[in-house]
Amino acid sequence: MNEAAAAATIAWPLSLRLAHWLSAILVLVALGLGTAMVQFVHDPAARFELTQTHKSIGIIVLALTVARLCRRSLGRAPKAKPATRSLRVAAKATHIALYALLLLMPVSGWLMATTTPVRVPTVVFGLFALPYPLAPDLAIYGLARATHVALAMLLAALIVLHVAGALMHALVWRDQTLARMWRKPMRR
Amino acid sequence: MGTTGAFQNIRVRFYLAQRLLAAIFVLAFICAGAQAATRAQSWRIDEAQTWIGFKIDAVGFPTTHGHFAHYSGQVLIDFDRPAKSFTTFTVDAASVEVGSSSFNEFVKSAVLLDAERFPTMSFASTQVEKLDAHTARVTGTLTMLGVSKPFTLTVNVETDPSAKGRAVAFVAKGTIVRSDFGMKFGIPLIEDALEITVKTRALTDE
Repeated sequence: MNEAAAAATIAWPLSLRLAHWLSAILVLVALGLGTAMVQFVHDPAARFELTQTHKSIGIIVLALTVARLCRRSLGRAPKAKPATRSLRVAAKATHIALYALLLLMPVSGWLMATTTPVRVPTVVFGLFALPYPLAPDLAIYGLARATHVALAMLLAALIVLHVAGALMHALVWRDQTLARMWRKPMRR
Repeated sequence: MGTTGAFQNIRVRFYLAQRLLAAIFVLAFICAGAQAATRAQSWRIDEAQTWIGFKIDAVGFPTTHGHFAHYSGQVLIDFDRPAKSFTTFTVDAASVEVGSSSFNEFVKSAVLLDAERFPTMSFASTQVEKLDAHTARVTGTLTMLGVSKPFTLTVNVETDPSAKGRAVAFVAKGTIVRSDFGMKFGIPLIEDALEITVKTRALTDE
């Protein structure tokens, strides 16, 4: 194994590190906005505007996640730190579930937007209109909505788990796992 | 039947047609005279006190209240013969206000008001009935999205005592079933029926 390949196995490429943190911010905003707009916003115009922003953010998350997965498939992920088998499995499962939800959340949201009888164009940050491939259908909309809400709660729980894991690495086990998502780790 | 019979038949018809025409003329003269004698008085609309609004409920979305900023209207009042009163209102569809510019744009778009194709909506009364001292029922024609349908408003009428009979306040309420006019967007999540309220104050110098 040459030196570049060896470095690649201990560090995440810059593009993936940037994408991770950008995704983290967008996902937290989308989750917060999505919850707040349906729970606490009772002004119709504000609800309309926030829904438009929420949809735009979701589509950016979808595009970013697809790009991240493509980039990730090009290289090898840094090796996981030695841990018990059950912890390794739990971490792996959480990561796979997080990626899956980053795809399924926007897709179920998109499904809601296309099947709702109240079909409002999704113009992503005012730039381009998202195609709506399905016709309005109240039954599919209800299903998509229930899925979107359930997955949102699951996503929130997995984020807590993911952050707890990162904090365990940084504060308890005192390894480079969290640090390497910030910067290239120092050679030992 | 012979030729004579047919000829007589034509003469009878001609005679009847003449009588009918005469009757119509007489009736027209009587009506014109009556109209001139009891002409309803035209009142000015106090724009500062006029509000043409609507309210529509939806499932999973807050109740939306909106109004139209640009309109024109006419009020003719005949207190002695309320049935002779008349009103007409026209609103600019593009002047709809629902609270934010992008929400306004959406309401103006082709799926709802379609303001580009149908720039105005109008109501013209055809019948005014006094229900009690302060209430009237105004029936007329509402034209929206190029469709005209009968429409009824219940109007509360309050004369302003301080204005010495020179001001009358009206609050008119009615329910539009929008699908009747071809506006089917969002049904059943957005209600088919929407409430409209027209508040206005009419003024006169006389």
